[in-house]
Amino acid sequence: MQAAWALATAGLLLLVLANTHPIMVFSVAGNIQENLIITGVESLWQEGYSLLAALVFFSAIAAPFLYLGGLWYVAMCLCLRVRLPGLASVLRITETLESWNLMPVFAIACIVSVVKLRTLGTVSWESGAAWILIASVVTLFAVQFFDRKQAELFVEGAG
Amino acid sequence: MSDALRFELSKALVAAGFVLYLPANILPVMTITIAGQVDSLTVVGGVMELYDGGLVPVAAVVFLASVLLPALKLVLLLWMLLLHGTEIRRERRMALHAFLERIGTWAMIDIFLLSILAAVGQLGILASVQAENGALFFGAMIICTIYAAGIYKPYMIWQDPTPEHQSL
Repeated sequence: MQAAWALATAGLLLLVLANTHPIMVFSVAGNIQENLIITGVESLWQEGYSLLAALVFFSAIAAPFLYLGGLWYVAMCLCLRVRLPGLASVLRITETLESWNLMPVFAIACIVSVVKLRTLGTVSWESGAAWILIASVVTLFAVQFFDRKQAELFVEGAG
Repeated sequence: MSDALRFELSKALVAAGFVLYLPANILPVMTITIAGQVDSLTVVGGVMELYDGGLVPVAAVVFLASVLLPALKLVLLLWMLLLHGTEIRRERRMALHAFLERIGTWAMIDIFLLSILAAVGQLGILASVQAENGALFFGAMIICTIYAAGIYKPYMIWQDPTPEHQSL
C-alpha cells in the first residue's frame, strides 16, 4: 500500500506537469500553434461543440485527476491507519472512475495526431507528451500496487 | 437501483448504441482545411487516409480502436444480455464482462484525436480542423457502450430467470 501511495503522489504531480506543458508544436507557413491538452477542449468549445468539449475535458483532464486523487486519499488513509471523513464514498467514486482513466488512450491519440499533422505541416514533440506518457505508466503501477480488497475491508471497519 | 432496472437500462443503452453506430460511421467527424483545400473525413475515411499515407500500423490501431472495437463491443453486449437469466456459458460471460470493462474506453481515441487536431483550427485560414456532427454521434455511441457494460453488474449473470427477465 505504501508503494501505491507513493506512486499516486508522483502520478498527481506528473499529471500537473502533463497539463501545464505543451504536448506538441505545430507550424504551417510560419504560424505556430502550441498544443496543451486544454487547447483542444477550448477549440471544440469555440466551434460550438460544447458537449464534445465537456466529454474531452472530463475524460482527459478531470477524471484522471479525480481517479488518482481518490486512490491517493484511500491509500493514505490505509498507510496511516486513519479514518478520514468520506473515505467510503471516495473509494466508491474511485472505483466508478476506474474505466475513465484515459491517459494511456490519450497518449496513443497524441502519437496518431502527430503522424497525421506531419502531412499538413511541421510538428515537433514537446515535453508535455513525455509527461503524459510517464504519468500513464506511473498510474498503471499505482493501480497495480493498490490492494482493493484491503481497502474495502478497511473501509468496512474490518481491516 | 434495482437489478431489473439495471438490466432494462443496459438493454436500452445497447439498442441506442446500435442506432448511433450508423450515423457515427456515415457522417463526417471532422473537416480539415489546409491551404484552401477542404477535406471532410469520416472515421473510416481517417483510417484510409493514414493507410494511403503508408502509415499502416497507425491506421491499424485507429481502425481497431474506433471501428472494430465499438462494433464488437455492441455485439458481445447483446449476446451477454440475450443470455441473461439462463445457465448457458456463465463463466464465459463473466470473463467477457471483465474484458468489456477493460477495453471499454479505447474508442475514445478518436474523440481525443479530434480534440488535439481541432487545436490546429486556431491557426486561422492557413490550416483549420473543424469538428462535425458525426463526432457527436460517435461520442454518444461510446458513452452508451461504456455505460451499458458498467450498469450490468457481473453478479447479475448468476441470477436465476424471473418472469421480468425472460423477455428481451
